[in-house]
Amino acid sequence: MIPATLRGSLRFRLLLGTLFWIAASLVVAAWGLGNLFRQHVESQFHAQLKTHLDQLTAQLALDDAGRPTLATSLSDPRFNRPLGGLYWQIDRLAGTGAPAAPAVMRSRSLWDQVLRVPADTPATGDVHQHRIVGPDGAMLGMVERSVTINAQRLRLIVGADENLMREPVTRFNEELWLALGLLGLGLALAALVQVFVGLAPLRKLRDALGRVRSGETQRMEGDFPVEIMPLVGEFNTVLAQNADVVERARTQAGNLAHALKTPLSVLANAAAGTDDALARLVASQVESARKQVDYHLSRAQAAATARLPGVRTGVGPVVDGLLRAMRRIHAERNLDLRVRPIPANLAFRGEEQDLQEMLGNLLDNACKWAAGRVEIGAGIEDDRLVIRVDDDGKGIVAAQRQATLRRGVRADEQVPGSGLGLAIVDDLARMYGGAIVLADSPLGGLQAILTLPAVP
Amino acid sequence: MRILVVEDEPTLCEQLAAGVREAGYAVDVARNGLDAHFMGDAEPFDAVVLDLGLPQMDGLTVLKKWRAAGRVMPVLILTARDNWHEKVAGIDAGADDYLTKPFHMEELLARLRALIRRAGGHASAELVCGPLTLDTRSNRVTVAGRALALTSHEYRVLAYLMHHPGEAVSRSDLVEHIYAQDFDRDSNTVEVFIGRLRKKLPPGLIETVRGMGYRLVSPQ
Repeated sequence: MIPATLRGSLRFRLLLGTLFWIAASLVVAAWGLGNLFRQHVESQFHAQLKTHLDQLTAQLALDDAGRPTLATSLSDPRFNRPLGGLYWQIDRLAGTGAPAAPAVMRSRSLWDQVLRVPADTPATGDVHQHRIVGPDGAMLGMVERSVTINAQRLRLIVGADENLMREPVTRFNEELWLALGLLGLGLALAALVQVFVGLAPLRKLRDALGRVRSGETQRMEGDFPVEIMPLVGEFNTVLAQNADVVERARTQAGNLAHALKTPLSVLANAAAGTDDALARLVASQVESARKQVDYHLSRAQAAATARLPGVRTGVGPVVDGLLRAMRRIHAERNLDLRVRPIPANLAFRGEEQDLQEMLGNLLDNACKWAAGRVEIGAGIEDDRLVIRVDDDGKGIVAAQRQATLRRGVRADEQVPGSGLGLAIVDDLARMYGGAIVLADSPLGGLQAILTLPAVP
Repeated sequence: MRILVVEDEPTLCEQLAAGVREAGYAVDVARNGLDAHFMGDAEPFDAVVLDLGLPQMDGLTVLKKWRAAGRVMPVLILTARDNWHEKVAGIDAGADDYLTKPFHMEELLARLRALIRRAGGHASAELVCGPLTLDTRSNRVTVAGRALALTSHEYRVLAYLMHHPGEAVSRSDLVEHIYAQDFDRDSNTVEVFIGRLRKKLPPGLIETVRGMGYRLVSPQ
């Protein structure tokens, strides 16, 4: 059985098919060529026998006593070598004149043996072929013809050991198999090279996809063969459409926020003018509605994003932008805002807006609570992007830290803020398969540790 | 102190203008981006409350154009989109602070006061000049601890002078910073307000600079 991994391999399939056809063609070629050569050798063998027979016929004469004799001996020396494989014999046939007698004359090579020829009387002039057992037990190919001289019917027989013809056939076949074997080996090698070279673009395709997946590139790039190029094009279109859908979702979410919050502002301001039960109800409900809108919008936006492949965001520029904003927003507090050096190529595998949202909330919290100093650092730890935001405020007691990550809970109601900041960070981090952990900071306050997928 | 309020939603715009006016500022209003850009470019506002989602020209573009033209008045942006992407974009475009809708009027006023104070280089919410103290949070002026009763125009003139102590402030400067655009302006009324203030304040605090205007001096 073929293992499943090999059955599923395109290379294996192509190789198997090619090798099968190479083997089949070579076997057919060997069989065909062998046959052709054997037929050729056979016909030559018989043609030679016939030539010898013709020579024998031509030399045949009767001496004065009426016995057959040869004018000159036959030219092939093998006729004179005992059991040399080439034989002739003349039988007298029963019939007119003299009594029948086998082997009235025979070649020296027959020595004391007689060719036992099946009873046959070919018509004058006809040449018949037979296979008989020769003097040394070997099979002989044999031709015969009958002639009538002075009323004597004689049968002239020439035979040759079939091994004489088999030998070249065997030799030819040996060489043929060797040659075809070498050819087969060469073809198999060529097929192997062809399959690997031909399928190399697939490997390139996989690498390109991998780069999109890991966020190194936004779309599949590189030159591909014309057969694969349409696939790459289609895939890039799908990627672009995905990005477009996400962008639209973001815009719509933003528009919805705008559409909802302006009337909420109007309501809140109208209610702020008076101080009765209705005004208080409106104020509290507006606040609740605002929290719900913020929370669910940020989730909806993040949900659309986390599934988008091929997105990367440089950490450095986002941190720089946020620090500019923090310095301006918290200008009153005269904070010492510091960045520990961030590697230039450090990147987050995800949307810029989401990283901004997470870091923005963490930095904003740190700036609100710090006594005078905030520090941010980022780096790779165990292949993950780890960002630490430190402040020198009073921190949060360990028992309360987990609760502050929950929706709407605030550690202290005195500093302005929705209390959703950390919950949003927690949600976003989880959507990216990351986490936010609160710990004690070496600066004395709180340290927020954000772990996120990095671009390798 | 003169404030430009830019908001396209009519009700919210009225609420904003009323709230800011109540806090003692002169208020001008723009309902779309083009008007806002023109007014901010032409008039010397002390601060701007700028909504980002505006018809005809969006708030960020308006802000960038002002900054490109060298207009440096503090700008507080109002945004419905509560995300840091937008906040960073706003700050990078030149905003000084942001506020997310819906907001409390008190918070907006507090931020506005802080912006104006910072723009004038004042660190504290209380401006002090000799015996004079101006609490920008309550709009109260005291002279050596005694509260001073002022009309809204008198207050605006004095507040502007206290934000620029020791500087010569021209009459037209004062007019531009105490009146909204649609107000019937008359620079002679400034002299009337100065005259009344001089009567209410200890003598010598407001000097006349010949050919220039007025200067608030501290006796020390």
